[in-house]
Amino acid sequence: MGANIYKNKKPVFFFLIPAFTFMIIFLYYPFIQNILNSFQQIDGLGSAAKGINAPWYENYVKMVTDENMKTALFNTGWMLLATLLGQVGIAVVLAILVDNIKRGAKFFRILYFLPIVISATALGVLFNLIFLYDKGMINQFRELLGAAALIDFKDEQHGMLTLMLPVIWQYVGFYFIILITGLNNISPELYEAAAIDGASGLQRVRYISLPLLYNVICTCVVLSVTGALKVFDLPWVMFPKGMPFNSTWLTGTYMYYQAFGASNVDYSSAIAVAIVVLGVIMAKVINTVFKEKDY
Amino acid sequence: MKKIVALLLTCTMLVSMAACGSKSAAAPAAEPAAEETAEAAPAAEETEAPAAEPTGPVTLNVTTTYAGNDGGAEIYQKYIAAWQDETGNTVNDASGTADETFKARVLADFEVGSEPDVLFYFNGTDSNAFVSAGKVVSIDDIRAEYPDYASNMKDSMLGASPVDGVNYSVPVNGYWEGMYVNKEVCKAAGVEIPGPDTTWEEFMTTCQAIKDAGYAPIAASLAQIPHYWFEFCIFNHTTVATHCQLPGSATDAQGQAWVDGIGDIKTLYEKGYFPDNTLSATDDETFQMFLDGKAAFLCDGSWKAGGISESAENIDNFTVTYVPGMNDRKATDMIGGLSSGYYITKKAWEDPEKRATAVAFVEYMTSDAVVSEFAQVSATALKNGAQIDESTLNSLQKDCLTLCAGATGIAPAVQDLVPQPCRVPVFDGMPNLVTGKADIAEAVQEVLDMVAAQ
Repeated sequence: MGANIYKNKKPVFFFLIPAFTFMIIFLYYPFIQNILNSFQQIDGLGSAAKGINAPWYENYVKMVTDENMKTALFNTGWMLLATLLGQVGIAVVLAILVDNIKRGAKFFRILYFLPIVISATALGVLFNLIFLYDKGMINQFRELLGAAALIDFKDEQHGMLTLMLPVIWQYVGFYFIILITGLNNISPELYEAAAIDGASGLQRVRYISLPLLYNVICTCVVLSVTGALKVFDLPWVMFPKGMPFNSTWLTGTYMYYQAFGASNVDYSSAIAVAIVVLGVIMAKVINTVFKEKDY
Repeated sequence: MKKIVALLLTCTMLVSMAACGSKSAAAPAAEPAAEETAEAAPAAEETEAPAAEPTGPVTLNVTTTYAGNDGGAEIYQKYIAAWQDETGNTVNDASGTADETFKARVLADFEVGSEPDVLFYFNGTDSNAFVSAGKVVSIDDIRAEYPDYASNMKDSMLGASPVDGVNYSVPVNGYWEGMYVNKEVCKAAGVEIPGPDTTWEEFMTTCQAIKDAGYAPIAASLAQIPHYWFEFCIFNHTTVATHCQLPGSATDAQGQAWVDGIGDIKTLYEKGYFPDNTLSATDDETFQMFLDGKAAFLCDGSWKAGGISESAENIDNFTVTYVPGMNDRKATDMIGGLSSGYYITKKAWEDPEKRATAVAFVEYMTSDAVVSEFAQVSATALKNGAQIDESTLNSLQKDCLTLCAGATGIAPAVQDLVPQPCRVPVFDGMPNLVTGKADIAEAVQEVLDMVAAQ
């Protein structure tokens, strides 16, 4: 017998079954059911389907003509860019800066990571107070500096910017931690050798840190892009129901609104399918554009 | 390495087992329901089975909206504990905050046959699904066996189902809608607080004076909570008798009342009587403006008296009055009603073990004493009225009682006839309507078309 017991793979499958069953029940089955729901008429959460839509792809046609969905996609596109440049971009800069300081690195790591541990709802309330029209922090500062009129940071003109800033701020720390871990994995000998060769600080970043961090950045980019497509909690707390004037819809918030606000469960399911499809496509595109490199 | 793999797999297995174990530990509340389904099946075949007194302590599955921040949650918990102590029965409480998720859960429970024995729920269109499916027992059917059931209530106020006009639920306390006033703002603006005889034109003059004094006349978020003004502005073009009727179309008399009513909200907006950020502010923000003395009036429900009492620094600075009227509506004609009540489900009714206990539970929770404690300043259907110790009330709550006493008529909210998803064009779409980006008549017609398609 001896080592032969390890050649028998049956026990492995036995141990994998519980987790696999869990995934089937709580992930794959709902996912497939959601696709089926998108073809049926369901007028409320908890209500049974009244039948297949006529035509069965009605919700997908509606999605193309729905102005709010167009706004949601457009805004999500902006959010995607903002997270790419804002979250990952700022995180790269911060990680490199913190990696280059000798004292206080731990302090900055905690400082930048802190927003991640605060719940999005609490952050939403916090930023609501900061951007509040009357007695909000920013408007109070403006008043102190002599501004006469209050600015409504949640109006049509400023809404999206007001929405994006906290979302960017919240997740910078997440990518910062991933990137700083990547930087720590770069051998110090490379920097020492470069220093001996006379490379400046910037040159070391340009020719050592960034190239060796490339794969980590790729991972961050994929995470941020897929994350941007489903961002929901913080925007919903700050701008419920796409207010003002349906101008701040994101794909995530619009999907939620259709299910819980408008009781249009089948349409909401179709939007969910679209989000998944978009996520897969975007991840594929990003993977193609930013191909991981072997060093 | 192989040992490590084996260890990892074992840990995975243990974690999975633990997860399953904790799930079953949390399940006892649901277990009785499963047992009852099995029990109810034979009972259903003999629907005429005589009521049997329970032979021992009974476990009732009860779902209510008394949970979370609901003002009645604490009182409810107190009384179910008292009922359990008195009777030896047990309540499996599955109450939840009355949001859309909760409504979905209740409907899903009915769909799959795991409904509670007793349900405290809305009696408007939200209950249509399970009433239509015959899953709850009418009060007349219950009275056939228990003649004293809900005998302390006025039948006309029980809240008949929109499905068939039959009473199924026994209400506890209802609501009314009125206009709360920040007295200091009115004083600073040099205006009189609107009263029972104030006309709409006089109200407009008052609002203008408040605006000229640098305050927002009306605290309201048209982007989030436009429905109080929606009700009253339409009420101003209908009467107590006709208010709670759905128009046939946007062009008939009732439809025109809706169009004119929403048009009045547009006028209020155009005159600048709402806060500058009414189209982007949340309800919490505009309420805070009212509390902070930056807005004079706040149209809201009877439940807001508690919120103002808790949040105001000086409660004597606040009062409540009637929303000024126009046309055939007197200012003293109010919006109000009893929108929720206790249902006994058919499943519990057909269970000989539970029938009497469910009836006794509802009778206990809707007795004069319990209802009075829930009601405070809100409306009830009690024949004897709510028994309130006025010495425990603050000045605003006393004003609320005076307001109710002076009401000349009460009409239910017409929005309760419109299912939630059908309200979108006029509620969520209100910013577009008041700014002229969408046509009011078209939006009203869209609502009616959606209702018709339901």
